[in-house]
Amino acid sequence: MDVDTIAAISTGPGVGAIAMVRVSGPEAGEVLLQLAPALDEIPAPRMARVIDVCEPDDGEVIDRAVATYYRKPESYTGEDVVELTCHGGVMAPRLVLSACLAAGARQAEAGEFTKRAYLRGKLDLIQAEAVSDLIDARSRAFHRAALRHMERGLSARITGLRESLVHLESLLVHHIDFPEEDEPPVALNVIAEEAKRVVQELDALLATAPEGELLREGALTVFAGRPNAGKSSVFNALLGEERAIVTEEPGTTRDALEETVQLSGFPFRLVDTAGLRESEGRVEQLGIEVALRYLKGADIVLFCIPAPEETSEEDRSFLEKITAPVVLLETKVDLTDGPERDTTELGGLAGAIRVSASSGQGLDQIRQLLPELAYSGLVGSLGDQPILTRQRHIRALKIARSEVELFRSSLKDGLPAEIASTHLRPAETALEEVLGVITVDDVLDVVFREFCVGK
Amino acid sequence: MDARYDVIVVGGGHAGAEAAAASARAGVRTVLITPDLSRIGQMSCNPAIGGIAKGVVAREVDALGGVMGRATDASRIQFRMLNRSKGPAVWGPRAQCDRNLYPVAVRCVLDELESLDLFQEMVSDLVLEGGRVTGVRTRGGITFYGTAVVVTAGTFLRGRIYMGQEAGAGAGRAGEAPSIALAEGLESLGLEMARFKTGTPPRIDGRSVDFSRVERQDGDDQVIRFAAYTEEIIPAQRPCWVTWASDGLKKVVSDNLEKSALHGGEISGRGPRYCPSIEDKVVRFPNAPRHQVFLEPEGLHTTELYVNGLSTSLPADVQRDFLQTVPGLENVVMTKAGYAIEYDYFPPHQLRHSLELKEISGLFFAGQINGTTGYEEAAGQGVIAGINAALKAKGEDPLILRRDQAYIGVLIDDLVTRGVDEPYRLFTSRAEFRLLLRQDNAIRRLGLLARDVGLLTEKQALVLKDRLDQENKLTAWFHDTKLAPNDVDPLLVEAGSGPISGPVRAVELLRRPRVQAADLLSAGRSDSDIGNPQEGLRAGVLRAVEVELKYEGYVGRERERAARLEEQSKLLLDHDLPYLEFETLSYEAREKLARIRPETFAQAARVPGVSPADLQNLLLEVRRTRAREGRSL
Ligand SMILES: Cc1cc2nc3c(=O)[nH]c(=O)nc-3n(C[C@H](O)[C@H](O)[C@H](O)COP(=O)(O)OP(=O)(O)OC[C@H]3O[C@@H](n4cnc5c(N)ncnc54)[C@H](O)[C@@H]3O)c2cc1C
Ligand SMILES: Nc1nc2c(ncn2[C@@H]2O[C@H](COP(=O)(O)OP(=O)(O)OP(=O)(O)O)[C@@H](O)[C@H]2O)c(=O)[nH]1
Ligand SMILES: [Mg+2]
Repeated sequence: MDVDTIAAISTGPGVGAIAMVRVSGPEAGEVLLQLAPALDEIPAPRMARVIDVCEPDDGEVIDRAVATYYRKPESYTGEDVVELTCHGGVMAPRLVLSACLAAGARQAEAGEFTKRAYLRGKLDLIQAEAVSDLIDARSRAFHRAALRHMERGLSARITGLRESLVHLESLLVHHIDFPEEDEPPVALNVIAEEAKRVVQELDALLATAPEGELLREGALTVFAGRPNAGKSSVFNALLGEERAIVTEEPGTTRDALEETVQLSGFPFRLVDTAGLRESEGRVEQLGIEVALRYLKGADIVLFCIPAPEETSEEDRSFLEKITAPVVLLETKVDLTDGPERDTTELGGLAGAIRVSASSGQGLDQIRQLLPELAYSGLVGSLGDQPILTRQRHIRALKIARSEVELFRSSLKDGLPAEIASTHLRPAETALEEVLGVITVDDVLDVVFREFCVGK
Repeated sequence: MDARYDVIVVGGGHAGAEAAAASARAGVRTVLITPDLSRIGQMSCNPAIGGIAKGVVAREVDALGGVMGRATDASRIQFRMLNRSKGPAVWGPRAQCDRNLYPVAVRCVLDELESLDLFQEMVSDLVLEGGRVTGVRTRGGITFYGTAVVVTAGTFLRGRIYMGQEAGAGAGRAGEAPSIALAEGLESLGLEMARFKTGTPPRIDGRSVDFSRVERQDGDDQVIRFAAYTEEIIPAQRPCWVTWASDGLKKVVSDNLEKSALHGGEISGRGPRYCPSIEDKVVRFPNAPRHQVFLEPEGLHTTELYVNGLSTSLPADVQRDFLQTVPGLENVVMTKAGYAIEYDYFPPHQLRHSLELKEISGLFFAGQINGTTGYEEAAGQGVIAGINAALKAKGEDPLILRRDQAYIGVLIDDLVTRGVDEPYRLFTSRAEFRLLLRQDNAIRRLGLLARDVGLLTEKQALVLKDRLDQENKLTAWFHDTKLAPNDVDPLLVEAGSGPISGPVRAVELLRRPRVQAADLLSAGRSDSDIGNPQEGLRAGVLRAVEVELKYEGYVGRERERAARLEEQSKLLLDHDLPYLEFETLSYEAREKLARIRPETFAQAARVPGVSPADLQNLLLEVRRTRAREGRSL
């Protein structure tokens, strides 16, 4: 049966000193020999060889590269693999790739290398997803979570839970199928207890889900406050670059600006918005509407009031509308020696920080407070336990949880064991789907769609 | 005296009797050939039918127009519904039978069948023509020609009996000759064969038992019949007895272990884990304080008792010694010694779901020779092999039961798809849809199917229709009738349930725990429009409706899951897929699939050793193959 050989540039686009072209499939070695006429046989596995890469048809030298051959199944995909590390930039990798294609390989589809690795049992589905996460990771924390998945942290946990369910099932089987055995069957309340433990474990995992999901996208953190409050200045200061325009003119910022930053390793989507006020200007008004929309979806709001100025009625009425946790930023503290603002009238604040974009005062406090607010459950424990970061996992674990809970409560309510047991298989199935143990075709398609070519 | 038939059944055990009956019912000329006509339906081991899961199979066989249910009712001397303390979905009817009456009853049922002939002879060989079977030859040289042949030779193929360390003596059962020529003939066809073993316990003289030292166990008072279409006359009932073997027995057994054929290495075949010999029990569970022993009557007119739980292949004197350590058996007289038997079976991956051999057209196998153990398992296969042999003779498509339709479907699919590595016995846990596969609804699951392929007589079909009509009507009554607080509050409170404030549909009340259908029916009697729907109900109707309605939600979920699986199983796998060339599959998976050649994707998913990754690849390989051939998936 013909499995074809695929090739793609596996390093990202853009200028870099080197780039890598990967070839995988039964003909990978052959492709290499065609590209490197100087080689008279496929090099020993895992030994780097410097080669001149030549155009297969006319022998023209395209680049000088390092070729490494991996023999199946000891390779990323589980197939024969050749990795060609060539010069970076725009031309060299492309030429090397097209030489591979000319030598009989086919351009790989998005995610095809990882898909092959999964299908050959080198990775489970969670690990395959983690590969894509590792590549996409924009924060240290998310990277660590993905790495844990890659190391089978989550897989091991879910496998363990699945085994517990299978064990529960076997206790029930003993109960139902051997009524007259010498050994008395395990009491149903013991089985119910065991089920409770499984529910608790599932709960513990699911408890990581809200923050886990934030970890993927970054917590949406929105600057708000009157015009000229210094929002854009603090925004820029946190980003460490002059991203937003700053002028002494109120109403400078119009459209919302969004940037992802890491604060203490955790990802945040910072959004700078137009200052809030009643305005006649059409553009400014539109900007304010955008700001309000962001405020609705915000995970955290940074509400700015200049330290030298009084709290206004408008501030209060805006604050009332905000449902997300609010951190008050008293801006431009360098301009005043006045005392701290009395914040009692501002409602329950998640924190208040005096900052100065000019002097940098208070910025570290922000960097510290925001992770504690958005990721309270993960700060400190990250890396110890697997975190749910994907809807696919969360949904399945929720199903499993509710089925096991139904199983437990049916036993407690005195329903017959065989009735209660109808909840176990669906729970097992849900867990198996997460691992990709039973593969529903569509799940796979979704998973591998997320990849870009070359991974 | 050569003869010509449509279907020839070889062997008159439980598989053979059912196969012959099914084939003859379907209206084709059938002959059953077996060495001793007086032993058709003989119970080789314990004279008991049913049990958990097995009892459901007995009812399925009956629903398919089979012999077993009627023969059991006509010969039973004790009946118990096992698992009664659990939900009705896993109830297991079990009957102790009179060893002599059972075969008589089987014979009576067979004698009703016009297109069935019986012939007493040993079959020694098959007649083949170009890869298809065309008949059989007997030891005496007679040739029977037929379109299809069903072989059901049980434990007889190269059977050897072991007791203690004497070299095994050739026998198909105690006192009966083994079947050697037929075994060799089948082997020469290139079929794969292997050995299994099983054992039977000693029998004792009831007059020598001290009944004051054992516990009496009576059967259920309520009469629940196995047979749904015909009411047989049930004989007088007898008690069983329970006692417990403990340290004394353990000592005798362990002191003599090396004398056991099973443990001394005489027997190489594998035995059933579920029905272990006492040697096995003592070795595997050295810490169990005691072992339950049932003393079960062998019949109405004998004092002989079957010692259930002490199956063994130790020498006879050791058997007597260990028996006498058991409370109540101190002075026991042993009438027959237990023994082990080793026999050939054909690893069942060589079969299709119709029980026809993949490689030999027209040849069907059923029963113990497919690696199963138990009368019910044999009978279930017998019906399917028999009807499919008949359908083959008629040129029609085979009858195949799905896993969500019958335990028989589970059994055959397990055999064909997974193969066996020890004698196969049914459990409720083998079925992924055990809530659907109940003893109370066997008729509803299989009755119409049976009627449509001709397995039911006209009379039986009428009974079936009447029964299903009654169930439907009763179901409708529960759905349509609203019951008033006055009428039902007392019974609700009695059941520990809360009273109601206004009229509530009967079905909703029925779903409450401990509320009984019969009580609701009586309470609803005041509802004059409807009359009393309970009047004239056939036995089992109320129970069937009650269980179905009570657990409708759960049953519905099971049905949905079954439907989803059915969907998946629709992807058919061609018989000639080049599995060995599917390089993306693991080597093990390639071999297993090539060997079993599953018919559907769902079946492939159940083959042990085929990993999920393999399945995924299989799907891709099939897609590729089909795409190349320009077909859609
Ligand atoms: C010693 C012993 C112990 C057992 N213990 C257990 C147990 O503990 N639990 C359990 O569930 N089951 C047990 N069984 C198994 C049970 O008896 C069988 O599962 C069941 O009888 C199988 O039915 P069958 O129809 O396949 O075969 P059988 O009942 O064995 O019937 C085979 C029939 O084929 C006939 N036959 C054989 N060769 C030929 C031939 N060449 N030509 C014509 N006819 C032929 C025989 O005469 C017989 O009528 C035991 C069986 C034996 C012998
Ligand atoms: N001294 C001092 N001036 C500041 C500080 N932060 C901002 N300013 C000045 O305040 C003015 C407004 O700053 P911005 O950051 O543009 O304010 P804004 O809230 O984004 O204003 P709009 O976009 O118009 O709503 C500018 O002239 C800044 O230079 C600070 O910390 N100290
Ligand atoms: Mg601004």
